[in-house]
Amino acid sequence: MATLIKATQVSKIYHKTVVPVHALNKVDLSIEEGEFTAIVGPSGCGKTTLLNILGGLDHPTSGKVEITGIDITNMKDSDLIDFRLQNIGFVFQAYNLIPVLTAVENVEFIMLLQRKDKKERIARAYELLEKMSMLDKADNRPGELSGGQQQRVAVARALASKPRFILADEPTANLDSASTANLLDLMAQINKEQKATFVFSTHDQRVMDKAKRLVTLLDGSIVSDITR
Amino acid sequence: MLMRIAWRNVWRNKGRSGVVIGAMIVGIWALAFGGGFMRSFLLSYIQSSIRFETSNGQIHHPEFTIDQDIKFTINDQESILAHLRNQKSIENICSRSIVNGMIASSRQATGVRIVGIDPIEESHVTQLDSLVFDGEYFSSNTSNTLLIGERLAEKLKVKVKSKVVLTFQDVNGNITAGRFRVAGILHAASIVINESSAYVRKEDINRLLGIEGYVHEIAYTTVEGTDDQALADQLKNDFPSEKTESWEELSPALVFMQQMMGATLKILIVIIMTALAFGIVNTMLMAVLERIRELGVLMALGMRRTRVFLMIMIETLLLSVAGGPLGLAAGYITIFYLGKRGIDLTEYSAGLEAIGYESILYPSLNLNDYIQIGIGVVLTAMLASLYPAWKATRYNPAEAIHSL
Ligand SMILES: Nc1ncnc2c1ncn2[C@@H]1O[C@H](COP(=O)(O)OP(=O)(O)O)[C@@H](O)[C@H]1O
Ligand SMILES: [Mg+2]
Repeated sequence: MATLIKATQVSKIYHKTVVPVHALNKVDLSIEEGEFTAIVGPSGCGKTTLLNILGGLDHPTSGKVEITGIDITNMKDSDLIDFRLQNIGFVFQAYNLIPVLTAVENVEFIMLLQRKDKKERIARAYELLEKMSMLDKADNRPGELSGGQQQRVAVARALASKPRFILADEPTANLDSASTANLLDLMAQINKEQKATFVFSTHDQRVMDKAKRLVTLLDGSIVSDITR
Repeated sequence: MLMRIAWRNVWRNKGRSGVVIGAMIVGIWALAFGGGFMRSFLLSYIQSSIRFETSNGQIHHPEFTIDQDIKFTINDQESILAHLRNQKSIENICSRSIVNGMIASSRQATGVRIVGIDPIEESHVTQLDSLVFDGEYFSSNTSNTLLIGERLAEKLKVKVKSKVVLTFQDVNGNITAGRFRVAGILHAASIVINESSAYVRKEDINRLLGIEGYVHEIAYTTVEGTDDQALADQLKNDFPSEKTESWEELSPALVFMQQMMGATLKILIVIIMTALAFGIVNTMLMAVLERIRELGVLMALGMRRTRVFLMIMIETLLLSVAGGPLGLAAGYITIFYLGKRGIDLTEYSAGLEAIGYESILYPSLNLNDYIQIGIGVVLTAMLASLYPAWKATRYNPAEAIHSL
């Protein structure tokens, strides 16, 4: 299997406060195609920071990030925007969706940014919503959906752009246990059926149990990396 | 889709959008009303000044304008009048002899400007006949009748048919007097007509002055759309030995006033536009700050900054498109209504008439003014939203997503 993400000696130091925060310390990590990987660890250990850097949302202080062999570490912000659009799907912790767009429009939106034609957009948006069991809520706005339903739409949207992999930062943090299990099962199913690569962070034991690979962070360093 | 998002965002916070639209409506309305009001104020003033006082232009002996001595009559008036009659842009012409003297009733005496006119010509040029509110306008054939203003009549305590005596120096320097009968009393906005003028037949006064066949002043009106200054300049060339002046030269105060009004309007525009701009900067900035997280998500997903920028600009544009026409409509309705009904300034007209204003104003604006106001406001709105739109693109998506 091909290496999708390769992080080498990635460090991140935040200088916003009087005492600099070492959020990541020389992290080495590679993610292969088709993985279903959880980044775990207590709050503040650097999960969000790591995912942001892997996703090209933030620059490391030192080290290097390559995605499908392309070094994104020193890419210009404007190029990174396009790079993210074409290569990476995102699911955030909460309030992912554009509130003024319906579920199906939210999914369509990302393909619109990619300049896909309307027919393809609509077909794919409905197909993905169906896959995420959200077809009946296609015309509802996010405000009318439960947290779990919103996250399912967010996953559909992340898939819509046909990204190389999907990054999900604590996608279940705001969900009850039933919705959590449901979302994870859907993600796992898509991972299995479509070989879609997922990297998600969590500090929820039940979510960790579903992961095929578990990368544990502690104070900005990887302390264990287990593949099951 | 950008349009759709922007459109729905406009509706998202109806109160705030309402405030922006409302501000635009008020701004446009205020500009239309202010502009229309000032214009009518000015036009009414200029028109009444041209109509009752200066006409569109006048010709004098060059010395007469400096020293109103009766010996400074216009040379060769016949050929001048003939030349004026041949001008296509000149509508009506009248000539006058003018002398300053005294007017006395049995009770009072006061200084007066005695104007000798041809009643028919004068009625065409200044519509002096329309000012007669008591008595009649030289219609009978009896000689030595005169018209005086209302205030002068009060001062002299005379009525129609009362007798008055005019006293002045004739061409040889001898004091001469003539008995006249009041034919009519004039009611005019102009202080000069109202308080210090007496109109008599030209023949009557010329006979007493000993300058039969001569005049001191030729006044003319022009057809609508004439460039009065250009015409006056041409006549200056045609009659090099006389002094031709357009109404602008005859009453520089009018020109000054025109400029003042123009400047006042500009200040008004700047004030209103600035207020509008601040209002829009404020509300749009609020709209952006409220949505930091959402903007972060959009940029994280891959929406380019130019599109984010455009989205905010489109939102403002949509607000302008709603507010602009409504404001223009409100302005148009107000101007249209007031243009028909007039703004009655009677309450203040004692003061206004004293400086020569009509007391009822009819505001007007032309299409061009509306277009300019509309474009100006929309442009101001767009300029004002540049900053909020730029601000929206400045967020770091990673941080924006985690802000609440
Ligand atoms: N934008 C930031 N500015 C300053 N410090 C930050 C910022 N983001 C995260 N941190 C700090 O970096 C460390 C790691 O944070 P984070 O990656 O959010 O951890 P996690 O997602 O595992 O909870 C924390 O100590 C946090 O306070
Ligand atoms: Mg986190």
